[in-house]
Amino acid sequence: MTHRGEDHLTRQKWDRAARSFDFMTGIGPDRRWEPRKKELFSHMQGKILFLALGTGLDVQFFPPDQDIVAIDISPKMIEAARERVGAYQGDLRALQMDVHQMDFADETFDQVYTSCTFCSVPEPIEGLKALWRVMKPGGELRMFEHTGSQYFPFKQMFDLMNPLSSRAGPSVNRPTVANVEAAGFAVREVRNVYLDIVKTIYAVKE
Amino acid sequence: MFDAARKTLDLERGIRGYFLLGDIMAVTFIGALVAFLVALIVSPAWPMLLAMPIGMVAGMFLSLIVGMLLFFRYFGAMEVMMPVMLTGMLVGMIIAMAASMADLSLLAVIVMGALIGFWTLISTYCANYLINGRWPL
Repeated sequence: MTHRGEDHLTRQKWDRAARSFDFMTGIGPDRRWEPRKKELFSHMQGKILFLALGTGLDVQFFPPDQDIVAIDISPKMIEAARERVGAYQGDLRALQMDVHQMDFADETFDQVYTSCTFCSVPEPIEGLKALWRVMKPGGELRMFEHTGSQYFPFKQMFDLMNPLSSRAGPSVNRPTVANVEAAGFAVREVRNVYLDIVKTIYAVKE
Repeated sequence: MFDAARKTLDLERGIRGYFLLGDIMAVTFIGALVAFLVALIVSPAWPMLLAMPIGMVAGMFLSLIVGMLLFFRYFGAMEVMMPVMLTGMLVGMIIAMAASMADLSLLAVIVMGALIGFWTLISTYCANYLINGRWPL
C-alpha cells in the first residue's frame, strides 16, 4: 500500500474513533497518568509543536501562556477538541495536518511533544524524521508513549493482539525508543511509567 | 501550610485507593466471568490439548472487550489492560483444562476465576515493582 493510502486509512480510522474517543478513554487514564503528563509538559518553552491533538484531553495538563501549534490527521478529532483548545490560557492553534506531510518550514520549533501518538503513525521512523526536520538544532523531543515490552508474558500478549488492535486503533508492540534513535535523535532519558510499556522519552536533535 | 499538605496527602491516598479498588474489581469480575463462560462451553468431551489454547485465546480477547467496555475508562488503560488480559488468558487456559477433565461446580469455577484474577493482579504489581522500583498506583 502507498504511503498516501495508509495515511488516508489512518485518517478514516481516527475520524471514526472521534465520536466515541472521550467515552472510551474516560477519566481513568487521565487521572492515572496525570502526574507524569503534568511533569512532561512542565518543560514546555519556546515555539512548540504538539503532535496528535486528538480530542484535546491533554490540553488540561499544558502549563499556561505557551506558544503551541497542535496538529492532528483527523478533522473530526480537531472538531471535537475545539472547546478544550478554546479554553486554553495561552496561544494554542489546532491544525489538521499529517505528520508525514507537514507544511512547516525546516527548523521551526524549539520543542515537539507527543502523547500516545507513535502507536498510530503509519510509518513511525519516517514520522519521527519529519519531526526532526521541523525542529531547530538543539530542539527537544518529549514523548509520552506506550510501546512494546521486552518482558515475558507482556511481549507475547502484545504480539498476539497487535494484528487486531492496529486495525481498530493503535499498534501495541512498537519499539518506539529504537525508532527515535533510528530517526537521528539522541535519546537522553527514558523513564518507565508502567512496566516497560508506558514511558516518557526525552530526546534531542543534536 | 500543614493543613494543605495533609489535604494533598489525603487526596493522594483517596486516588490510590480508588485505583486499587478498581484494579481488584476488574480482575476478579473478569476472572469470574471468563471462568463461568469457559466452564459452560467446555466439557469432558473436549480433548484437553484443544481446550487449553482455545480457552486461553478466547479468554484473552473476551477479557479485553469486557475490560474496555466496563473498566478502562474509569480506572486506567494499560494498568488495567495488562492484568485483565493476563487474567483472561490464565483463567481461560486453566478452567478449560479442568473442565475438559471433569464436570465442575459453577460456583467453584467462579471463585477460582476470581482468585486467579487477584493473584494475577498481585503478580503484575510485583512485576512493576521489579522493573521500576514502585507500585503502579
